[in-house]
This record gives sequence, structure tokens and C-alpha cells, in this order.
Amino acid sequence: MRAGLLLLLVALSATPGYGQDAPYASEAQQREMQTVQELLVRASAEFDGPQQSRSIVLFEDMIARLEELRRQGTLPPRGKEILVQSYEMRGRAYYNIGLQEKASESFRLLIQLQPQYAMSKDKVSPKVVDFFGSVKKALVGYLAVSSRPAGARVMLNGGFLSLSDFFPMDVLAGEYSVEISREGYQTEIRNVSIAPRATETLQVELVRTAASAFFITDPPGVEIWVDGESRGVTSGSLSPEFFEMARAKGMDPGRASARTEIANLSLGSHLVELRKKCHETVSVTLDVPEPRDYVPEPVRMEESLATLTLTSEPPGARILLDGEALGVTPREIEGVCAGKHRLEVKHAAGKFLKDIVLAKDEGLTLDCPIRPSLAFLGVVAQSAAGERNLAAVEERLVQNLSKIATLNFFTPPRDTVDRILEQEKVTRLGLVSANRADADVVRKATERLAEALEVQGFLVAVLPDERLQRTAVLNLLAAGNAVPDPWEVTWNEGASYLRFISAVDQDVTLYRPWSGLITVDTLLHDGVPVLRVAPGSPAALSGIAPGEVLYSIEGRPVKRTADLLAALESSRIGDKLALHLRNAAGTSRAVELVLGQTPQEIPLNDPSLLYNKVMMDLRQQSEGYPGTEGAAFASLNLALCAMHFGDYAAAHDFLLKARTALPQRPGLSQGTALYYLGLSLENLGSEYRKEAAEAYRAAAAVKDATLFNNDGPAVAPLAARRAQ
Amino acid sequence: MKRAGVLAALLLVTGQALAQASPDEQAQGLLEDGRAYWLKQQYKQALDNFNTIVSGFQQTDSVDDAWLEIGRYHLEVENDPAKAREAFDRVAKSYPQSDGAPGAYYYLGLLTMNRALAPAEIDDALAQFGRVQRLYPRSDWVPRALYASGLAQRKAGRYAEAVEAERRVSLEHPTSDVAAAAQFQIGHCLALQGEFRQAMEGFQHVRNRFPESSWAGLALLRTTALYRLFGGDKPVFGLDVAYAPASGDLLKDVGAILMTPERTLWIASDKVKSAVPIGLDGTRGASLSGEDLRTLTLSPRNEVVLAARSAVRVGARDIKSFAAPGDKPGELEVLDRIQAAAVTQAGSILIADGKHKRVLRYDTAFEWKGAFLDARPREIRRILQDGEGGIALLDTDEKSVRVYDEAGKLLRSIVARGAGYELKKPLDVAIDPFRNTYVADADGGVYVFNPAGALLLTLSTPELRRPSALTLDGDGAVIAYDEKAERIVRFK
Repeated sequence: MRAGLLLLLVALSATPGYGQDAPYASEAQQREMQTVQELLVRASAEFDGPQQSRSIVLFEDMIARLEELRRQGTLPPRGKEILVQSYEMRGRAYYNIGLQEKASESFRLLIQLQPQYAMSKDKVSPKVVDFFGSVKKALVGYLAVSSRPAGARVMLNGGFLSLSDFFPMDVLAGEYSVEISREGYQTEIRNVSIAPRATETLQVELVRTAASAFFITDPPGVEIWVDGESRGVTSGSLSPEFFEMARAKGMDPGRASARTEIANLSLGSHLVELRKKCHETVSVTLDVPEPRDYVPEPVRMEESLATLTLTSEPPGARILLDGEALGVTPREIEGVCAGKHRLEVKHAAGKFLKDIVLAKDEGLTLDCPIRPSLAFLGVVAQSAAGERNLAAVEERLVQNLSKIATLNFFTPPRDTVDRILEQEKVTRLGLVSANRADADVVRKATERLAEALEVQGFLVAVLPDERLQRTAVLNLLAAGNAVPDPWEVTWNEGASYLRFISAVDQDVTLYRPWSGLITVDTLLHDGVPVLRVAPGSPAALSGIAPGEVLYSIEGRPVKRTADLLAALESSRIGDKLALHLRNAAGTSRAVELVLGQTPQEIPLNDPSLLYNKVMMDLRQQSEGYPGTEGAAFASLNLALCAMHFGDYAAAHDFLLKARTALPQRPGLSQGTALYYLGLSLENLGSEYRKEAAEAYRAAAAVKDATLFNNDGPAVAPLAARRAQ
Repeated sequence: MKRAGVLAALLLVTGQALAQASPDEQAQGLLEDGRAYWLKQQYKQALDNFNTIVSGFQQTDSVDDAWLEIGRYHLEVENDPAKAREAFDRVAKSYPQSDGAPGAYYYLGLLTMNRALAPAEIDDALAQFGRVQRLYPRSDWVPRALYASGLAQRKAGRYAEAVEAERRVSLEHPTSDVAAAAQFQIGHCLALQGEFRQAMEGFQHVRNRFPESSWAGLALLRTTALYRLFGGDKPVFGLDVAYAPASGDLLKDVGAILMTPERTLWIASDKVKSAVPIGLDGTRGASLSGEDLRTLTLSPRNEVVLAARSAVRVGARDIKSFAAPGDKPGELEVLDRIQAAAVTQAGSILIADGKHKRVLRYDTAFEWKGAFLDARPREIRRILQDGEGGIALLDTDEKSVRVYDEAGKLLRSIVARGAGYELKKPLDVAIDPFRNTYVADADGGVYVFNPAGALLLTLSTPELRRPSALTLDGDGAVIAYDEKAERIVRFK
């Protein structure tokens, strides 16, 4: 037994969360409890050891410390437990060495602390238990309280004793003020004198001051709101005595709740609302003319459900409704509770967020365009003057940049960002300034931030060191990239943000309508002669041949190639165009041409582009539609973006991915990727010259591969030149 | 205003404001004002500002840019390569880390390229351009340096390399200020390589991608010329029956005609003893007078070079006579039977001396510098420069056209007889931008030869009985003077 007790104590003292549970007033008291814990372990070991008496001094030390805390009013519940235990064990130790007087004193103090304390003969020597009982008998009497109705709180000299009704309980002999109180009833106070060994019994008739109402609902779990205040929730199952009543109301008694009391209802009229998720709210008026019990009719709650059909571009996005995972898009979700919901559709490439309201039986279909998310990491000042403006700048930035349409712009929790940046040993300024951290550090930090915040890019604003604090440099940085796009704004002028927002919201077009007609302007023709027809193109399929002169599209004259390009620009992929051509002999013919599509390269250096935003959009394509041709072209363009930043290693990686995934056909194709692969390797340094030459040779061998788009210049001659 | 004066005036006028501005801010202000003057073509004022910076604000950040602008002034305004080089050298050597350094290397490359006669000199220029790309890869000068590399390669006749360099501009710097020019060069070099259809595509790209640029109009002329020659199975020229740019005495005794890039047609007539410019709308401009007018050519700076029997006029400058060693040893003899004259890309003036049947070289100060080619006698009737630095000589004795480089090395020739033709009385020659050669033969019409000397086409129609003078329009149309009919006809 002793060993068991010791084990329990060791386990208790070793519990990591133990010290945190007690409401310690100060660190000093916390340390005191820790000391007591340690003493308890030692004392218990001595108590269970061969010389039990050696534990007495340790228990006394503990008792002194705990009584001091008690005197200060800061003894925690666990401290009280240990104090009771210490008195018991010290008493037993005294008893075992024959010092009964001392033992009696310990037990007396224990009983005063906890009059209901009892020892079990199963665990402690019967002699000791008897001795303890004899001490207790001399100190305690007994109190029993019953009330009508029962369930009243019984307080003894201001301390809670029990709920009525209860059997006689051990109480230290003495004078007491007994308070019996119950919600909706008048509080009763009785003074009693309890003598040792004597039993006092109180029977109290409580006088009602408020009404109660008893609700039964089908199903249970219905929240009861009275006059706009939540007063309780129905629960349990219905007692058989009310089954008939429930049946009479068309309810299934087996599904109904127990009678749930809402007490303390003031006299008058009350609006009662019964609310349950996914059910229609029921409102009833409850008139309470007098303080008594009321039993409104049982209420059957009607389910209120809707159907939600979700699609997304790209598909395969995770659906979260009010934080609950509900599969991936595309999906039809039946049985969605009517009402307000927070819908999140998340993809590695971005997310879609929307607050929706569903009506009962509604079928809502939502197309959820996935947009990359941009985390605003904050404002950094490069001077003391700038520091003073941080809050104002941040407010203006958030206010203005929330208008960005093609990105989910938000401010993430600062502590999360700080923690990750600290772990990666980089500052906000270190991510974006001219003297930024090493590229690998920036890349890794942004990748970690992206993962933690579920975003694809970041914005850090920098206030430069300038006399008049007017400028903020907005640095846009795609996750995984190391070089930002800086953009200067006058931070307190709303109009200054418009150009930036317009640049951010610029769409990346991977495909354009394509005819495959390569025409040339001359001063010799009334129209444009066809110089070349791209192999496999719509023009080739339409049988158009070089030498023919195109002179009208859709009835509009074509005087210059620009007219043809404008017609294509205003058309859509798949559109049918009516062309009129004339051959060398002057014979006209009409041709219907169904527009195809040509992939487009991102220009390597275009000042109007925010390349980090372009990268965010392209990643959406490549990660959203893995294995598709679109993803392959996105990878090719990601490589071009990396080359724009001079990051040829990243470009190389993107191109390796693109090379095998791109189609093998005339136009923008595998040969294009091989050419750029050579260019990347060439720029990576002389040690890659041989590999670069191999890539160029491979590109030169690909017939009809082009640059820019399917009508662009041929790769082969360029690659052949560079291979030399 | 002298430099010191500018500085003093500046200090007086701006007084308190300048006293408060830092030297860097003052220098920056001067630089910006100087550039503004430059844009308004007030070059002297601009130069004053730049000189003030380099003399009064030597320790500021603007001094490298000021030297660069001074170099540009000497190069582009004064046409003084030596002074320009001195300024650019100063930037490159004294301020190698400055923003101006890549610009200095670029201009040094240009200077080297412009004077280059041999491949090794062109390689020196390429090295300067390469330095810009290698040492300052993020500089705004990189696309210009790449573009100039392409021009240098073209000058060396390495057209494939030129295309590659220009393609890099087009690919890697598609929005730079030289992107349209680079795209134009791609078309041009492809045409020089004989890739005519690709060349047309290249020129068309200029029009598609840079429709607002000044190159777009020129590209249309090039596509027109190429399409006429190579768009179909065979070249197609049709007589422009409405073409009648002049009439009356001006069309009598016409010695030469010349179409300028601005599309002004010059007619040199001995009847009216002058060369008369006629605009597209038929209006006549200020004429150049002279007797026994021989040839009309264009200098590399697009000045009209009018050769008369005893003198040559370059642009609007005074007519110059020339002297060279003659029959009497040790004495210079004034040339009084000049047959033809032209100014080369390197700046030499070549004069065909009919008396001694030789071609002589003069420098820009009209000083005699010796013979061009060997001492073999040649009856040269026409000298002209092609767009690639070739110097074409029409020899009426030999009935040939031979093209030489600046150093006198023979590049290509059209001999008296060949497959499908025989030159009987060649009187004039013209060369288009793609090095196709057009020969006016009084007894045979107009022959068109490709750069390899093969006959492409013969223009021989009843409307052209006796062509004696020839020029080409920018779009490749052939304009010929018919001395028999005393009229000018145009084949477009």
C-alpha cells in the first residue's frame, strides 16, 4: 500500500501540466507549491520506508508551508488536498510510534479542515481508523436539509455544502447560518446549533417568486432563447409518462427530448425562440401571469436543408464549409444546413472565399474561380521618420490594395510571419531590399511562409529614407522566387495605387486565337499576300496557299496585316471566320476558317509586366492542371520569368519539366524548351557549356519548332548557330 | 557662353537656392537641363551644361554622365571621332563603376566599328560591346550593345551572327528602344543571306510588333521590294504609266538621276546646267548648278554628291576641284575630266579620272591620298556605294560592274557576258539594299542581277528604248532615264 501511495504521489508531482492548473497568486507561491510537491515525494518515501517516523518532520514542514498559504488565502485546491493528506499521514505516523496525543492533534486539525473526511479500513489499519473515528466523533455533528421543491443550494456560513435534499452530513460542531436558495424562489435562512454527535434536520418550504417553463422538442439539442437571451438547450430523452402527450402532437416520443426546465421566468409575456442548426427556428409567445410551472406544447423542429454544387477552375480543390472539409471540386453536397456559411475552396494554386446564405430547399450552384492569394507582410521603414508613419501607411495600403481583383489580398497573423522569418533568419526588408538576403534564403523563407499561410505571393512595403515621407515601394514577391518586382506609390494618394492594381490585375494569356496565316504588307497589292501557312494550322487545314492574297475577313476589307491581326484579336478560339482570297490569276474564292489556338510566350523583359504576379498566375496553371499541355506551356513561361530575374537555375528546372511535357509538333513545342534550356545552361556558366551545346543541338534537330508563338521565328537555325 | 561664365551666371541667378542645394543636386540639375537642351536640339547650350559639370562638379555622381554626353556631342554633332573617343575613354577608365561606364563602352565600340576596315577591327568593336553585356548585365545599355554587335557582325559580312545578336535583342529586350531597329536588322540580314521569304517575315514583324516606330514604314518598302523580286515564281515589274516627274528641258541631256531615301528625285541635266530635286508631289527644290554633270550619288550621311567634269559638290557645300600627280613627275595636276565621284562609308572621296583612266582617293579634307585599286587603266563611268560598304565601279571599257571593299579587295562582279545576257553599252548602275545589281544598258534595257552575278530579270520594253541613267526607289521600283525618248520611266 505504501509503495502504491508513493507511486501515485510521484506520478502526480511529475504531471507536466499540474502546476499550471492551480490559480497561483504569484511566482513565489508557485515555487512554494513546487517545494511542497518535492517534500511530499520525500515524505511519502520515508512514510513507506523502514523508519516511518522520519517522515514526520517533512510533513510538518509541508503543513507549515501550506497553512501559511491558507492563511494568505492563496491555497489552491491541490494544496488543500496535500494538506489534508499531510495531516492524515503525520497523524498515522505519530500513532504508529505511540504518540497518540500528537496523532489526535493531527487528526483534529484534519477534521477541522475537512469535516466529511473519512478513512477506509481497506486501506488503513483498522486501529488507526478507529482512533481517527473517535477523534472525529468528539468534533462533529450532523446536518440534513430537505426543501420543497428539492434542488436548492445549501450554504453553510457562506460556504457551499450541497444541493437539497441530502442525508445527514458531517459538520463541525458549532453555530451555523444555513442559507437555502433556488432560482425562482425566495431565499430562506435558518440558524442552527450543532452539537458533537448530534443531528439537526431542516425542512424548508420554498416560496415561489418566478415561473418555470418545461420544453419538449423533437429532436433534442434545441437552443431555447427567451427574449433574445439563450437560456438553455433541450437534452436527454422523454420520460414515458409524457409519451402520450408527445404522440398527440404527432411526435415520435423516442426522438423527443426530456422536459427541459427554463426557470426564473419573470411574470409577463415572453418571446421564446427554439433554434437548432439545420432546422427552421420556431418562435412562440409564452404568457406568464403568475409564478408557477408552465408546460408549452412539445415542438417538432422542421429540418431546413439546401444543396450546394461547386465547381472550380482548376478542379480538385478542397471544399471547406465553415471549416469542415467536404471533399473536392467538382461536387454536389446535399443536406447543407440553410443559413449563413463561410465557403472556402482551396487549391495549391490559390483559393476561393465567399460568404454564402442558403435558403431552405435551395440548390445553389457556384463556380469557384481559384485565385492566388497575396499575403501583405507589412510595412518597413528605412528611416526614423518612416517609423512614425508605419501605422498610417499600413492602413492606407490595406484600404487601397483590397481592391485587387485577381488575387485574394489579406493580412496574415503577424506572429506567424514573425516566427517563420525568425526561424529562417531573415527580415521583411531582407526579403525584398536591394541588399536582400541570399537567394536561397529568400526562396526557402517564402516557400515556408507560403505553406504556413496558404498563399502564393507576398507584398512588403518599404518606406525609403526620404525627407518628405511620401513614397512607399510595394515589393511583390512570388513564393519560391528570390527577386521582387518593386513598384513606387505615393502612399497617401489613392489614385497612385490604381496603376499598380491595374498591373497586378493584368491577365496572363497563355493562348490566343490562331489562323496560321503569315501575311506580308506590300505596296503592290490591294490586300495582303500570304507568305507562309504554318503547318497543321487552321489556314493549312482550310487549304489556303502561299501567294494567295487575302482581301477581306467577315466582309471587312484587309488592307494590311494589322487588319488580320485585329480580326484575330477580337475573335475567340473556335470562331469561324469568312475569308476572301484572290489567287495569282485574279480569281477570288471564299474560305471558312475555324480559329485554332496558339500558345504564347511571356516576353523576357516587358516593363509593363509584374513578373512575380505572372509567376503566381502561371503556377496556378501548372499546379492546377498537372499533366496537361497548358501546364507544360505554363512551365515554359515560368522558365522565361525566371530568366527575366536572371535565375537560370530555376529556369533550367522549369524547362526540364516543360521539355518532356510539351507537345512534339510544329510551333511552340519541345524544340522551344530545348532552345531555352541551352540558353539557361549557357548562362549558368562555362562548366555547363557542353550541356548547353547538346541542348542547342537537340533543339536544332526539331523541325518547325518556333519561338514567341506558333507563327514565330524558327528555332532550328538559331539553335544551330548557338550550338557552334 | 564659356564654361566659367555659365557657372558664374548660374551662381548669380540661382543664388540662395543653389547655396542650399548640395553639389550633387546642382550637378544633377545641370545634367537634366543639358539633356533637355539636347532634346530641343540646342546642342551648344547642352554642351555648356555638361562642360560645367566636368569642370565645376568633378566629385559629384553626375560627372560620368556629363562626360558621356560630351562624347555624344562630339560624335553626333561635331562628327569628331577623336574627341568623342577621348571623352568616352575618360568615363570607361576613370569611372568604371558608374552608370555611365557601360554607355562609354558602347560608344567606344561604335567608334571602333565605324572606322573598322578589317575583321580584326570589327572584333575589337565586338569586344567593347561584349564588355557591356558581361560587366553590366543589368544595364539599360545592354540591348543597345547587343544591337550594335549585330551591326558589327553585319559589317563583317557575318550575317548569321548578326541575325543571332539582333534576335537576342528581339527576344530578351522586346520593349527596349532598339527592339524595332533590331527586328528590322533581322529582316535585312536574312535578305543578305538570301533567305528572302524569312526576310519578308522579319520585316513584317517590325510592322506587326512596332507599328508606331519609324522602322515600320521602311519595313513596308523592304517587303514590297522583296515581294516584287521573290514573292512569286519570278520577279514582276510593271510600267507605271502615270509616272511623269518632270518635263521640258530638264529631261534633255540628263547625265544622272538619283532617288533619295526621302523620295526626292534628283535629275542632273546638262541642258539646264544643274541638278534639280523634285519632291513626291512634283515640287522642285533648290537646285545645284554645274556644267558637264556626270554622276549623282549619296554620301553615307545622305548628302547628295554631284560630280561634274572638273569639280565635285558634296551636299550644299561649295564645289571642290581635285588634284593628283599627273604627267609631270612631282607635280599635282588639277583633274579636268572627272567621270564619277562617291563618298565611301569610311569617309574617303573616290574620283574617277577620265583623263588617266584611274580612280583616286581623297580624304574628308579633299587631300589626295593615292590611287584606289591598282594602276590598270579603267574607264569608270559610275562609282557608287552599296548598303554594305561595297564600292561598285561601272567600267565602260570592260563593260562590267565590279564591287570592291574599302581596301580595294574585289568582292563580286558582273562581267560583260553571262547566262542570258550581254552588256553592250552599260551606262549606269544601281544596287538595292539586298545587293542586287541593276545595270542600265543603252542597247539592252535594264538588267537585274543577284549578288552572285546571275541574271534575275531583264527590263526591256518598248517604253524604254535607250536607258542611260538609273536609280531605285525605296520600295524597289526601277526609275530609268530614256535618253532616246528623253523621259523618265518607272517600273514598279
